[in-house]
Amino acid sequence: MRHITKAFPGTIANDQIDLDLFPREIHVIMGENGAGKTTLMNVLYGMYRPDSGEIYVDGKQAKIRSPVDAQALGIGMVFQHFSLIEVFTVLENFAIGRRGGKVRLNLSELKSRIEDAERGYGISVDLNRKVQQLSIAEKQKAEILKVLFMGARVLILDEPTSMLTPQETSALFKNLRAFTDKDKSVVLITHKLYEILEIADRVTVLRKGRVVLKSTRKELTPSLLAEATMGRSMATDDFSRDIVANKGTLSIKNLSVKGDRGEEAISSATFDVQRGEILGIAGIAGNGQKELVEAIVGLRKNQSGEIILEGDRITGRTVRQRMRLGLRYMPEDRKRRGVAIDLSLTYNAVLRDHWLAPFDHNYMLNFPAMREFAKKIISDFGVVCSSESSRADSLSGGNLQKFIVGRELLRTAQYIIAENPTAGLDMASTQYVRRTLIDHRNAGIGIILLSGDLDELIAMSDRIIVLYRGRTSNSVPRKDFDKLKIGALMLGQESQIAQEP
Amino acid sequence: MVIALIISMIILVLMGMVPRALPIIAAATGELVDQNAGTLNLGVEGMMLLGTVVGFFTDFYTKSLLLAFLVAGIAGLLLSLLHAVAAISLKADQVVSGTAIWFIGWGLSGVIYRALFGNYLIPPTLSALPHLQLPILTSIPIVGPIIFGEDPVAYFILIMVVIVHYFLFHTQTGLNLRTVGEDPRTAEEMGVNPKRYRYGATMFGGFMAGIGGAYLTIAVTGTFYYDLTAGLGFIAVALIYFGKWKPFRSLLGCLIFGAVYVIFLVIQTYFQSIPYQFFAMWPYLAIVAILAGVAAKSGGPAALAKPYEKGE
Repeated sequence: MRHITKAFPGTIANDQIDLDLFPREIHVIMGENGAGKTTLMNVLYGMYRPDSGEIYVDGKQAKIRSPVDAQALGIGMVFQHFSLIEVFTVLENFAIGRRGGKVRLNLSELKSRIEDAERGYGISVDLNRKVQQLSIAEKQKAEILKVLFMGARVLILDEPTSMLTPQETSALFKNLRAFTDKDKSVVLITHKLYEILEIADRVTVLRKGRVVLKSTRKELTPSLLAEATMGRSMATDDFSRDIVANKGTLSIKNLSVKGDRGEEAISSATFDVQRGEILGIAGIAGNGQKELVEAIVGLRKNQSGEIILEGDRITGRTVRQRMRLGLRYMPEDRKRRGVAIDLSLTYNAVLRDHWLAPFDHNYMLNFPAMREFAKKIISDFGVVCSSESSRADSLSGGNLQKFIVGRELLRTAQYIIAENPTAGLDMASTQYVRRTLIDHRNAGIGIILLSGDLDELIAMSDRIIVLYRGRTSNSVPRKDFDKLKIGALMLGQESQIAQEP
Repeated sequence: MVIALIISMIILVLMGMVPRALPIIAAATGELVDQNAGTLNLGVEGMMLLGTVVGFFTDFYTKSLLLAFLVAGIAGLLLSLLHAVAAISLKADQVVSGTAIWFIGWGLSGVIYRALFGNYLIPPTLSALPHLQLPILTSIPIVGPIIFGEDPVAYFILIMVVIVHYFLFHTQTGLNLRTVGEDPRTAEEMGVNPKRYRYGATMFGGFMAGIGGAYLTIAVTGTFYYDLTAGLGFIAVALIYFGKWKPFRSLLGCLIFGAVYVIFLVIQTYFQSIPYQFFAMWPYLAIVAILAGVAAKSGGPAALAKPYEKGE
């Protein structure tokens, strides 16, 4: 790719970017959110057309106007949100858009050809199952196989490890290495440092739409990479932890909760969190996290069990009553649960507290106080926006999250439930949100942290429990944190752990 | 005596339900394809109404059944094209656009009729459709006339149900179309043009709605009056939900609706002191009840009624 430039209204996402890909290499593209990685890959894959610049494939200039053009040139992409139809079987997903066949779908012929490909690449996927029944790692395998089956020589993966357990990640890397041995090349988009050191042959770092570093594996060090991505050296992951005297406890006792389809999503969950500690809840998405959080916050009824907040049974209480007792919530789905997306930040600042002083003034909204509070969130938490009257949907994901974190933390809280608080945030924002949560822990607030990112849980938590198929494990204290053991718990392999000395 | 009465009623219902159901079957089968591609056209009622008047006058003047149904279908198709442009190309809200289509079809049907026929005290009527007469088969008691004694258009509509089922679930194009309805972005990545599929599906829906409307005047009533469909187009949309977007299931729903309709038509004759509107209301209420039980849990095409915007 030569001199690729792509501008969107207000920003230049890619500015004169050059990128070379060689056969048999794993090339990592790294950068903060908004650095232009995904845009660059979308240009290569034909989703966007560049404003200027050229792409050459095997020395010949290529015109890539659509994903179909890209595929014809052997470029395949695995998105973070997979391009698979959930209600179709894996096999049907492979059959979409095929040409040159007969009118009638001939799935059995296709199936045997896919099975040949599976053997060739050493990956296996159950072709007859519906995609919605697959785990995230299985979906990813299906997607990779699909892209390879369509004839890709260059495989682009956008943040492929963000939802995987350590075991699944290393299995993926093994597969990727096997592809490069078969003359394919792999492009990985990521912001995880350690992955890069483990797998990259070469690295290109982007910042604000420009290439700031090109390097090979031999020359790489973590600090070099961090400096290149953020433009300064990274703050350390070691947070100072004060020992906080126990002031109170939020206990969950034998809690059972039903899921949307009436299945038992949480069965007899039992754990507690003390003020002044961070309890990490690990688990692969879909093991009951959503139902657990909703039951604690008050959005979902529980079937049995108790939630006790400092001796007070809150099980039957409404969301507002629980909030008044100091329970705060940072939802994972920020745009739908965290804010009213069409309203200004001023309104969003008081979504939870509009009925309390100073925002409520004789049953009327007190706009000066609301604006004041919105401004305080914006300045204290470094939210980038034009003003407090900007609409929530004009903010980037990271800034919106900072705003929500600020809103929840600036009002009195005793307990905070944070659901994937740094998902989709760049390194600087992630660091900031984590730092803030730790500070509040040190100030005596109890935090339940749910995260799909095990590194985050290990960096932040005082104790970790694992949620697997709606059941909670015993808690693992900080001194015993071990990525592989927790990963095994997340996969439900308790017996294996028990066998180890 | 009572048993004989009940049996004769059952026969009456069985014979009457198929013609009553056929207009809805045609419309629902067409709109079902449309929705499987992710477009929602609530204007089915309007396209049916346009089909009633166009079918009526074409048959009245040309005496050609084939032409009457063809022209009615094309009229529905042209009206659906308006919806397609609004919903697919201009990305308008599909509920609003569909409602507009309903009003346009409703208004047009009245205007066209008035322009061509003026005000008759006794409305003009069409000669009845020829019914199939097969040796032996049609003369089988009860079952014979129901299965083998319908008119040719009825068989066309029923065969369309089978064809649509085969198309959606057993052909490459059908798989592509359902992909567009689930996730147009994925479809595009796999080399399927979502716009083209949605246009095609919407037009097919319009065509079948026109046929359904024409069937109502030509085969069921034999005459035209204003607002002839009386909500059947909306029933068709509702029965797609009942049928979970599958042709045979929605066919079943249409037949049940036809049966309930005829049952109350029969009951009505026994209670002439009660206003007939009271009985006419029940089939519609039945639909509401059925939908409340069934549709709440059914998931349709994921991208239904969501316009597709490309990355640029």
